[in-house]
Amino acid sequence: MPTIYYLILSFALFLIGTTGVLLRRNALIVLMAIELQLNGGNLALIAFSRQLGDLKGHVFAFLIIALAAAEAAVGLAILVGLFRGRQTVNLDEITLMKR
Amino acid sequence: MTFNLRLIPLLPFLGAAILMLFGRKWSRDTVVAVAAGAIAGSCLVAFDAFFTALPLAEPNGLRDTVGTWISAGPLKIDLAFRLDGLSGLLCLIITFIGFLIHIYSAGYMEHDPDYPRFFAYLNLFCGSMLVLVLGDSLPVMFIGWEGVGLCSYLLIGFWYKETANANAGKKAFIVNRIGDFGFLIGMFLLYQYAGTLNFQEINATATEGGVLTQPLWGTTAAFWAALFLFVGATGKSAQIPLYVWLPDAMAGPTPVSALIHAATMVTAGVYMVARMHLVYLLAPGALAIVTAVGAATALFAAVIGFAQNDFKKVLAYSTVSQLGFMFVGVGTGNFEGGIFHLYTHAFFKAGLFLCAGSVMHAMSGSGDITIMGGLRKKLPWTHAVFVVCWLAICGVVFSGFLSKDSIIAGAMSADETMKDFAWVGRLAGYALSLAALGTAFYMSRLYFLVFTGETRASDEIKHHIHESPASMVGPLVVLAIGAALAGFTGLPGGLFDHPSWNLLNDELSPVLGPEMEVSRLTEIGVMVGATVFALLGIGVAWIFYGGGYREPSRKFASAVPKLVKLVQDKFRIDELYQFLFVRPLKRFAQAIYFVVDRILIDKILVGVPVAAVDFFGRLARSVQGSGDGQRYMAVFALGAAGVLYFAIRPMAPDALKVTVSGMGVDVDARRGNKPTPEALEYSYDFDDGGKPELSGAGPTAHHTYARPGSYTIRVDVKDTHWKTSSSVKQKVTVR
Amino acid sequence: MIPDGVSTGDFVVFCILTAMIGFFAIFTITRKNPVTAVMSLVATFFGLAAMYATLSAHFLAVLQVLVYAGAITVLFIFVVMILNREEVTPLSFRPMRVLGVLAGVYLFVKFVDVVAVGMPTGVPLIPSDSFGTVAAVGDLLFRDFLYPFEAISILLLVAIVGGVVISRSHQKEVAANVAAAYRKQVHELSSHDYPGAPEEPAPEGHH
Repeated sequence: MPTIYYLILSFALFLIGTTGVLLRRNALIVLMAIELQLNGGNLALIAFSRQLGDLKGHVFAFLIIALAAAEAAVGLAILVGLFRGRQTVNLDEITLMKR
Repeated sequence: MTFNLRLIPLLPFLGAAILMLFGRKWSRDTVVAVAAGAIAGSCLVAFDAFFTALPLAEPNGLRDTVGTWISAGPLKIDLAFRLDGLSGLLCLIITFIGFLIHIYSAGYMEHDPDYPRFFAYLNLFCGSMLVLVLGDSLPVMFIGWEGVGLCSYLLIGFWYKETANANAGKKAFIVNRIGDFGFLIGMFLLYQYAGTLNFQEINATATEGGVLTQPLWGTTAAFWAALFLFVGATGKSAQIPLYVWLPDAMAGPTPVSALIHAATMVTAGVYMVARMHLVYLLAPGALAIVTAVGAATALFAAVIGFAQNDFKKVLAYSTVSQLGFMFVGVGTGNFEGGIFHLYTHAFFKAGLFLCAGSVMHAMSGSGDITIMGGLRKKLPWTHAVFVVCWLAICGVVFSGFLSKDSIIAGAMSADETMKDFAWVGRLAGYALSLAALGTAFYMSRLYFLVFTGETRASDEIKHHIHESPASMVGPLVVLAIGAALAGFTGLPGGLFDHPSWNLLNDELSPVLGPEMEVSRLTEIGVMVGATVFALLGIGVAWIFYGGGYREPSRKFASAVPKLVKLVQDKFRIDELYQFLFVRPLKRFAQAIYFVVDRILIDKILVGVPVAAVDFFGRLARSVQGSGDGQRYMAVFALGAAGVLYFAIRPMAPDALKVTVSGMGVDVDARRGNKPTPEALEYSYDFDDGGKPELSGAGPTAHHTYARPGSYTIRVDVKDTHWKTSSSVKQKVTVR
Repeated sequence: MIPDGVSTGDFVVFCILTAMIGFFAIFTITRKNPVTAVMSLVATFFGLAAMYATLSAHFLAVLQVLVYAGAITVLFIFVVMILNREEVTPLSFRPMRVLGVLAGVYLFVKFVDVVAVGMPTGVPLIPSDSFGTVAAVGDLLFRDFLYPFEAISILLLVAIVGGVVISRSHQKEVAANVAAAYRKQVHELSSHDYPGAPEEPAPEGHH
């Protein structure tokens, strides 16, 4: 398929992820939506990599995957800590900047 | 010839500065040493200048120019001092009596915690007063004028913790200010017409038919200038209508009253008139007004003095009255006489005030004469000095006699100077004679009630009555000597056919012109008459008050109690002013406060920006400070979209360049001088009807209109690549 | 409808995969139940893995399944199990957020309008067989991109430590503090004098 199709798909995936980030209250779901965003970026990278015949895109995507894993781990840890303190993961309620 | 005249005011200013900076750390003795030393220094320089340098100087006296003060176009004023007979005499008075009062204050203010501040202010005052008299031009004099006003305020309200004292200081300053306004107008007029503010130069222009005699508002310029300057004098020298601050000023320490409100500051007005004497001589009408006001004040104040029960208040009204005498003197063209009385008055009034201080010191701070009496035995020195000064002011023997007579005699003979208004002078002469009677009466009343008879005070106060320490008595004695002998320097030449006996005249005539011509008859007649009146006054006082309150005084008081109350209340002038001026002004100020301050400024000018800032702050906070992370991301996305939107918009110009030629128009829709990118498409709608006549075209187009009129051209710019567009409109008129 | 140079099969596969990815992505963000959301996320990942495979990114496809669908999803499941709460209304339509979404849509539209138009529509050549293999990517990774590789491993270490530290139970810490205080108290008691102990010379005293 022409690369552009993949690009549109990747942007759409990113957009869906953004929608999830902006419009969901549950922090967990928000984190999942962030993963979606990252995957959108990955897809674009892979598509370009194929078009240009260069494997650098793959390497970059690889690093992104590793990074996403680390970020998910830390983010979830924070979430767990937050839950312990506030007893909620509803982002609407966790908006006070300082207690 | 120059001389270091600047030292004369400079030393006291330095003293004041040093004391203000370091005075609090020093011991009392050091403070007095510095202050009195500064004045003594000034005194020595003044003596040197007056007695050694002045006789050798040119006719206009010694001059010292410190530098150019104002140089603004044609206006050039130097900071310069001049010492001639007139200013030299005043300098001597100020420094000498000032020195004595410094010594006196060392004892009087001994227990006061604000010792250094007092002496700093005293020095400051002396410096300002010296600037006033030494000034070579009206603005320099005005510096001193204002300076003494300030010091008067500071010193009257010295014990400012009592509200009454602070109010008295305020009153003095404010009333003075009203006078200062008149002074300024007078200065402006003089500058306008004489083109200069320097005394020598003004006096040079003040000739018959000179610039100052030009018509202005009905009379001459000289008249108005003289009149307005005199308004300033009424403020500073406590004449009607601006005298009301002087009695209140007695709230200040007694040395202050002695120095400022007897010997020096209040005489500034008289000095000023004497300085401007040539201007006044050009305007007999002004002289008449001065004379009338002076006479009225002299009489009025004397009457008020009849019923005052506070020692210092009696003296205060006495000062007002005596100043009236001085103004009659200068008002009738007898400038020498006025200055002569100024000079003798300085001695005996200062002496009287210092006696008051001594008596109050003895009476544990009370100045109430109703509880005094019999102090003759207990305060011998004070008593002796008081007698000398009392007789001087009554015009019986001693100096007051000669100076007062010279004024009254001059008033009777004022034909040459006052021309058509000479009758005013004569009337004033009679009024002053009555005032002299009154003076004798109230001063004798004071003497009898305080020093004779038995003490009417409580035992507690009686117990503490003692004579003052040497530091206070010493200056008293010196002043008494001056009061006694000063008159003899001004023996009227006409009387004894020995003009050379009139030492004062020798000094003053170069400045003020020749002594007034008074006939021998008038001279003797006035002398006799004044003495008779004085003895009459003393006699009546003795009848009423000899040895305490006697039957006649009690009978009189019970016969006309309302009258007595009225006089005691100073004819309720203060209340009248309150009603006429103060209360309306206060209401006006309150109205302004309410309208301008509360509504205009607070509600509108402050409230609106506050509300706006609050609104925008809230807005910003809702966007930025909500703590809602998703909101931030949303704003982020919005920002990115915004950036993209503005980045890909095609660049249409701010205004089309339309050139009209007849019925045709050339439209240039380029932006600046840069070449347009290829991807832009222009479409032109020459009548703004919604349908472009020309589309897909380049940046320039031409169109010819069918009918003349006013059209709106709309150009749409489309970016074919990014598929965005913008448009711009322009009106054009085709004929 | 099929673009030039693309076989029918490729096109069909692309469409199916796109549909799957899109559907499950939207599914993820609209579920009330977090477990359901995680499941659909897994499905999205699988779809993406397949997509990578069609793009000759074999190594990455496998990696996607292993790491994403495997490790990360398990992480999510763990946390979901700890805090399993359902929401009443999943989507929060606050005005600012909706605006943000619309801004994103605007960007997307402009992207499609513009970028899509300007880009070449040709199908890239099928790369060689060794394109996208483990060996090929590994070669690049360990040769040209060694430093990033090492860096990312350190990053992973930091993430692990950070995760442990952040989610540590504070109860344990409180208990540790209490224990430490107790031990200190005991030590103090035992170090004071008691009757019978040899006296030490007292330091200078102000008696």
